[in-house]
Amino acid sequence: MTGPTTDTHDHDDRTVLLVHAYVDGELDPANAIALEQRMASEPALAAERARVEALRRALRERLPRETEPPGLRAKVQRAVGLTRPRTQPTWMTMAASLALAIFASSTGTWYAMQPPAGGGVPDAVIAGHLRALMAPQPADVASSDRHTVKPWFSGRIPLAPRVVDLVQDGFPLVGGRVDVVNRTPVPSLVYSRRQHLISLTAVPNVSADSPTSQTVQGYNMIAWTAEGMTYWAVSDLNLEELQLFARLFRAAPS
Amino acid sequence: MSGDDNTARFERIVQPHLGDAYALARWITGDRADAEDVVQEACLRAFRAIGGFAGGNTRAWILTIVRNTAYTWLARNRNAVVTAVDDLTAAENSNAAQAATFAGGRYDANPEAELIAKADAAKLEAAITALPPQFRDTFVLRDVQGLDYREIAAVTEVPVGTVMSRLARARQRLIAAIAADDR
Repeated sequence: MTGPTTDTHDHDDRTVLLVHAYVDGELDPANAIALEQRMASEPALAAERARVEALRRALRERLPRETEPPGLRAKVQRAVGLTRPRTQPTWMTMAASLALAIFASSTGTWYAMQPPAGGGVPDAVIAGHLRALMAPQPADVASSDRHTVKPWFSGRIPLAPRVVDLVQDGFPLVGGRVDVVNRTPVPSLVYSRRQHLISLTAVPNVSADSPTSQTVQGYNMIAWTAEGMTYWAVSDLNLEELQLFARLFRAAPS
Repeated sequence: MSGDDNTARFERIVQPHLGDAYALARWITGDRADAEDVVQEACLRAFRAIGGFAGGNTRAWILTIVRNTAYTWLARNRNAVVTAVDDLTAAENSNAAQAATFAGGRYDANPEAELIAKADAAKLEAAITALPPQFRDTFVLRDVQGLDYREIAAVTEVPVGTVMSRLARARQRLIAAIAADDR
């Protein structure tokens, strides 16, 4: 404290803090009794106590309690990728989880048989797409809002992908998931076109100069490089529309 | 799998305090939509850090993250530079209120207490909003959210003594503002 403060003032200042602590029930019994005696003989301290108690009563009785907005819990669960249903399981969700369990056990085998690192990026990308088609839902975070999808990735992988909104062009965003390519977790975005799903997987540091397209296992694939990533779009959609998707995605502002 | 562990931990540790998290974010940002954004971001941070949470007071832990996230958020989105309130200067400023305190009347005839007891919600809310940030945080955590002094010290990352002085200053400012309004 600066200026001509006296010991008396300091002492009073500390006593005022004790009055507040007394009202808050933060004093031990010995200090509480000592303070009660002082408040009985010093009207100023008693007045401070009365004001603090009046303020606390007014707050308790009249300040509206801020309640959690209804959608917040679901938003948070989506943001952290926690989309487990909170309702009673129906036969459909039970069937889905059973299917997932069976599928998960077979995925383990599949990963064990995966080709060694360095080879088969297109295969790994296709596998991610297939796995998504067979899973109860094609995306781990299901949202058409890119502001929900993008932050979901930042909790899981070092580099969040570019997420663009193409709903005006007839390619609504379905969501996102994390795939594994070359034993590295990579982001995949899921878009849809009519009843077809498009997986767009971004793999870092793999070269593909200009857009190339190929057909693998009956799926159309288009690859291009941008921002140090190779983007792989894969779908059972016809090649023309998949090329349109690739052009729109590359041209869209992020 | 550790991912499942973290999910379960998140549900157990963070989710029960979402209401408190939102209320604190709302008081700091002053806006409901912004508060939702802050809570989402804070939960993401909490989820990433949850493996390293050593246990203890879960509410204080999540509120610490919410408070830090809210100030980072304000700096980023509103260019608000949150200047630290010099507690000593504030103490000097409150000397006037302090003087009034000691000139105050008897316990059973206290006109300020009566005015405060009659203050309506809008007046209370406006007075709280007008407090300097550090005073407001401490006050809201205690008198609105009901944390004890040790919890507030943990959340605001200051010693308990600082919590006590900030809380007393905050209340005295509120009391003075409400009483002045009625004159």
